[in-house]
Amino acid sequence: MTHPETSIRGPETTILGIETSCDETAASVVLRRPDGTGDILSSVVFSQLEEHAAYGGVVPEIAARAHVSVLDSLVAAALSDAGRTLDDMDAIAATSGPGLIGGLMVGLMTAKALAQVTGKPLYAVNHLEGHALTARLTDNLDFPYLLLLVSGGHTQIALVRGVDEYERWGTTIDDALGEAFDKTAKLLGLPYPGGPAVEKAAGGGDPKRFRLPVPLKGTPDPDFSFSGLKTAVRQLAEAQAPVSDQTICDICASFQRAVCLSLADRLDIAFSRFSERFPATADRALVIAGGVAANKALRSTLAEAAEKHGFRLVAPPLELCTDNAAMIAWAAAERRAAGIEGDPLDTAPRSRWPLDRQAETVVGSGKRGAKV
Amino acid sequence: MKLLALDCAQRLCAVALYDAGSGEVLARLDPEIGRGHAERLPALVDEVLAEAGVAFADIDRIAVTIGPGSFAGIRVGVAFARGLALALKIPAVGVSGLYAMAGPCARDAGLPVMATIDARRDRIWAAVVGPDGATLAEPAELTAVAAAELASRIPAVIVGDAAPLVLAEDASLSIMSGGPFADIAEVARIGAELDPAVSAAEPAYLRAPDAKPQAGFAVERLKA
Repeated sequence: MTHPETSIRGPETTILGIETSCDETAASVVLRRPDGTGDILSSVVFSQLEEHAAYGGVVPEIAARAHVSVLDSLVAAALSDAGRTLDDMDAIAATSGPGLIGGLMVGLMTAKALAQVTGKPLYAVNHLEGHALTARLTDNLDFPYLLLLVSGGHTQIALVRGVDEYERWGTTIDDALGEAFDKTAKLLGLPYPGGPAVEKAAGGGDPKRFRLPVPLKGTPDPDFSFSGLKTAVRQLAEAQAPVSDQTICDICASFQRAVCLSLADRLDIAFSRFSERFPATADRALVIAGGVAANKALRSTLAEAAEKHGFRLVAPPLELCTDNAAMIAWAAAERRAAGIEGDPLDTAPRSRWPLDRQAETVVGSGKRGAKV
Repeated sequence: MKLLALDCAQRLCAVALYDAGSGEVLARLDPEIGRGHAERLPALVDEVLAEAGVAFADIDRIAVTIGPGSFAGIRVGVAFARGLALALKIPAVGVSGLYAMAGPCARDAGLPVMATIDARRDRIWAAVVGPDGATLAEPAELTAVAAAELASRIPAVIVGDAAPLVLAEDASLSIMSGGPFADIAEVARIGAELDPAVSAAEPAYLRAPDAKPQAGFAVERLKA
């Protein structure tokens, strides 16, 4: 079965993308051909990791200040790396949400200025849509497919049915997975960012020494929760204090195992649901995105779970899994090719913006609605 | 030289098109909107250009207020100004909103004027400008006591929404009506005189980000 959206043709387009939703300032120029293939002509990323390290997490005001100081030169660098000028662009795209509002504002205002002067359309892109469509750029993947996004800000499973046709099947009701890694690292005195530090420690640990709860195991919807696990890790560490280096490694390994078991359990539901919904789709794929997707134990868990259900795991290169502007330019190119017009210059950035417009508020996620 | 001036740092969303050759403001709009600068600014720029009969390609320079004021507002103005400058291949210069507030008052009064903004948390953002436009005190974050001492020493007449706070410290000081916002025409006039190599459009928040390094809880480790 060919989904109509897979055969989007559209004209050849070259798009400038801007990403400033968290702690990476990024600009990129991407080309999309009428046959749906694309090329990244340039992609520059300025990481603010060092600015935030002392605080053990991203500080919104520090992030926003860093974005505004470097973004214009990054845009200039992206254009020059691509050997293009602004006049060569068919549209200007910027992440407009979800994310930290101060940073989003900087990227969106810069994009508005570029669009207003050149008269090119502005695309105010959903950051999650950028992650969702990346695999079509890197692997020419056809719709529909499953997306698992695991990062410092997001943890969700979504069905990607077409451009602008997303269904969020599961999301976290409390912490994002990357956040859980960071908090575990901080608790154990490991450096920021926590993901690589916990993974490294876990490599030398016994994952079965401690039994930690597997969050939400057995619940019918593929949602996530990591705050209970975080508390369990804390209680365990306190009970073991003072902790030896080996115990720290064992706690990390046990934590990572619980996370993997939870993801596999949640994905079981999603795989089954997908197969029921699209029995005729032969090439079933799970796309992973987000910085946590770099974790090797997690990747092998996902690969195993996917294989069991007849899915293949599509993992774009790490630099396209983490925050980048190529995915924003590409999402705009896909929207344009699908006949979706640009956005007005009075568009406001949105700190919360579910991928799925019909997404219901998830219970326990706070009064402002589901974490997205 | 045609200059486009922008100010989003306080409650106004202000835009002016200034012709430095004639010293004329060709068009200006400065609605007091409080919030929502990111949404309003592009349309205001279009309106001002249309009224002035000037196209983007005719603009030689952008001037933007770099603070003090709302951190988010400062960035809306600066990011937009720098985007315009990049697209037009022209310089963008940064102007302190305090200078643009004090300047016209000092000229009118023929006296040094201290512009003030209530920075909350018991602090005041202030700067002093002479009647000839010279800087007598650079923008800084001060206590009311320090601001009163500065105004008394120069001496300067005080304008802006923190004037009553300064007066409360020293009743002998004088205040005049003026401000409480930057005058967009003055932003343009100052911006036209600045050297872009020195006065880049870089935010001047006058206050560090509100963040403390987290000590946080970490479990006790076994001593090696």
